[in-house]
Order: sequence, then C-alpha cells, then structure tokens
Amino acid sequence: MPRLDCLSQIARNTILALPVQVNETSPCTPPAKPLAQSRIAIVTTIGIHLRDARPFGPGDPSFRVIPSTATQADVLQSHQSIGFDRTATQQDWNVVFPIDRLRELVQRGELGGLAPNCYSFMGAQRDVSRIVSETAPEVARRLREDGADAVLLTPT
Amino acid sequence: MIARVLEAAGLPTTSISLVREHTAQVQPPRALFVPFPFGHPFGRPNDPDLQHRVLGAALDLFAERGCPVLRDFPDEAAAAGPAAPLQASQVETAPAAEDAAAETTRLRRYHEQWLQREGHTAVGLTRIPPQRFRGVIRFLEAVAAGDEADMRERPEGVPLPLFIRYCADDLKAMYFEARLLQQPQTTGEAFARWFWGETATGQLIRRVKERLDVSEDPAMKAIAYGIAR
Repeated sequence: MPRLDCLSQIARNTILALPVQVNETSPCTPPAKPLAQSRIAIVTTIGIHLRDARPFGPGDPSFRVIPSTATQADVLQSHQSIGFDRTATQQDWNVVFPIDRLRELVQRGELGGLAPNCYSFMGAQRDVSRIVSETAPEVARRLREDGADAVLLTPT
Repeated sequence: MIARVLEAAGLPTTSISLVREHTAQVQPPRALFVPFPFGHPFGRPNDPDLQHRVLGAALDLFAERGCPVLRDFPDEAAAAGPAAPLQASQVETAPAAEDAAAETTRLRRYHEQWLQREGHTAVGLTRIPPQRFRGVIRFLEAVAAGDEADMRERPEGVPLPLFIRYCADDLKAMYFEARLLQQPQTTGEAFARWFWGETATGQLIRRVKERLDVSEDPAMKAIAYGIAR
C-alpha cells in the first residue's frame, strides 16, 4: 500500500480501524545459513490457489498449497476483498508472488533453491484469531517438514 | 502477523509491508515498507528489474542482526497511479452500445486471443467456460430483476451468494484480459472507468449489487459489498 496520505479520508480511516496486534518485541530466528545455501518459500496472503482447489470464501482462515513448480497458468485468485487492484496480478503474478524472480536468483547462484511448496492465505480479514492459533502454525510445521530455510511473506 | 508465528516456530522470515502504521505496531521480525499501491507489493507488473530491486531489498534484511527490523524502500522507484482502485460508485455511466450478452460474446473472441498468446487466465472461479458466459449473463439479469435464479452449472458446495460473486469476478477478469489485448497500455484505473462506465456487463453487475443490497438474506447483502462498491 501507499503511504496513508495518498488515500482518501474514508479509505485511510478504514485501514487504520482494522484490528491490528500491538506488540512490543518480535520473535527472532537468525538465519542458520547464507542465502546462497538456503531454500526459500513464499507465504502469501493474496488468496491464490491451484485451479481445481477450493476457492477462498468470506472470512476463510484456511491456506492453500502452491507447489514451487507452479506457473501462473496453474492458479486462480479468489481473494474476497475488492480493496486492491487485481489487474496488475492478472498481467504478471510476480508483482505479488515473485516466484519467477526467485527462480532467477537460484539460477544466478544467489539463492540455494526453492522449498518444494509455497502457501497462500487470504489476507485483509477482520478476525485473524484462527489464522494465528491454527492455520499459520500448521503452515509453519509443513514448511519445516519441507526443509525451508527462510520464508518471504507477500501481501496484496 | 503470520511472519511472527513462523519466526517463533524457527523459520527466519522477511516480509513486504504496505501499511507502515500497521507494521510498526505488529512488529514482524523483518519488513520492508514499500510505497506502492495495494496489489503492487513488488512495484509493477512485467518490470523484472524493479521487482528484483524490491526482492533484493527484502532479502537483504536477513543480513541484519536482531529483530524487529523495518526498512523503507526508496521512494524514487514508487509506481505512479492511484493508491487504491477506482470503485464502481466513483464512475459515471454512459449508455452501453449493445446488450450484455452480445457484448460478452464479442469480447470473448479477444479473450481467446489473449489465452493463446499469454497461456494463462484469471477466469475460472465459476468453473464455467467462457463459451457459456451468455448463460451467466442471463442468470445475472434474473438476479438483478429480483427473480429466483440459479444455474445448473453452479459447482457443488458453492452457495448461491458466493456463486454470484464468482460470476461477477469471472466476467470482470475476462473483460480485463480482452481489453488488455486490445489496449496493451491500459491501466487498472482506465479499465475500471471503461468497465463500470461504458460496458453493459459492468452496468449489469451494478444492478445486481443494488438488488442484493436490499435483500433480506444477510449472505446476499454481504456479497453485494464485494461485487461492486
């Protein structure tokens, strides 16, 4: 998103009124290896899924698995919000899910590789409690099983 | 917030922030604030150089000691364009040149060319192929008229209100891809003006929204908000 001063008053107030955790500190896991030896996964909240997977519905806390071999032809976006312009994603999914850019970094030797799976949630939700308590921990467990060394998170 | 859960589980994370105020409160472990509009965290579509610069800046955060880290991507690369998408209610309508069914059929030919050229499409939520979209138009016209309407092709497990949403999304996606084929330089904003202001289907979707807005079914009312605003 832009700086809030680029939005209309109504849009600005809506964004600022969204429930947001307020935290004093952050958990911290230092990377165990340099990026050039690390396998990276994307976790996104853009609400994409494989074409034959169940689309996201309103208030949906679940996640979808996107194999790291997927191409744009393999996915659909079913994010329920219309508060963001999807036309950029329609043209080039790398603007929200830069997997082709990550592949290029692997080819150049700057990244060790991609973990076998990426994961998508649907963001911009009013109630995030089930994501925090159930589905995000499940994704964490799967990422560790997948052998991911680091994670890139992308929003809409 | 998801980043915090993953980091606490032993996975180093870096993330893109689109709302600096939120990020400063949530305190994810590593975040790069970018001044781009919603829907554009990596800057611009089909601009790999800019996407790589953003990606590189986000990955560089792994080299910083300690958490939380919040850095700003330089403004000079900020994409032009409106911060949030143009909504239907902001667009004045002009009478459409043809009816929605004829218009959809005509645009579908451009969409087929798009598909051949690009190899991907955002159409597919309804699971109804574009060749059958005249039926989708008839269905939406019945909904807009307040009739009891449904489609045989509605996928099992998809409730009617959500199916109406998917119909609107698929039509809009098809129209965008057809438009992009005809006008490759079109922007999201220009498309919104054309779709909501000049097309019969855009105007049909607005009438569907108005009908659902006054529905006594809360699920239908909720869907109205996400179809056109």
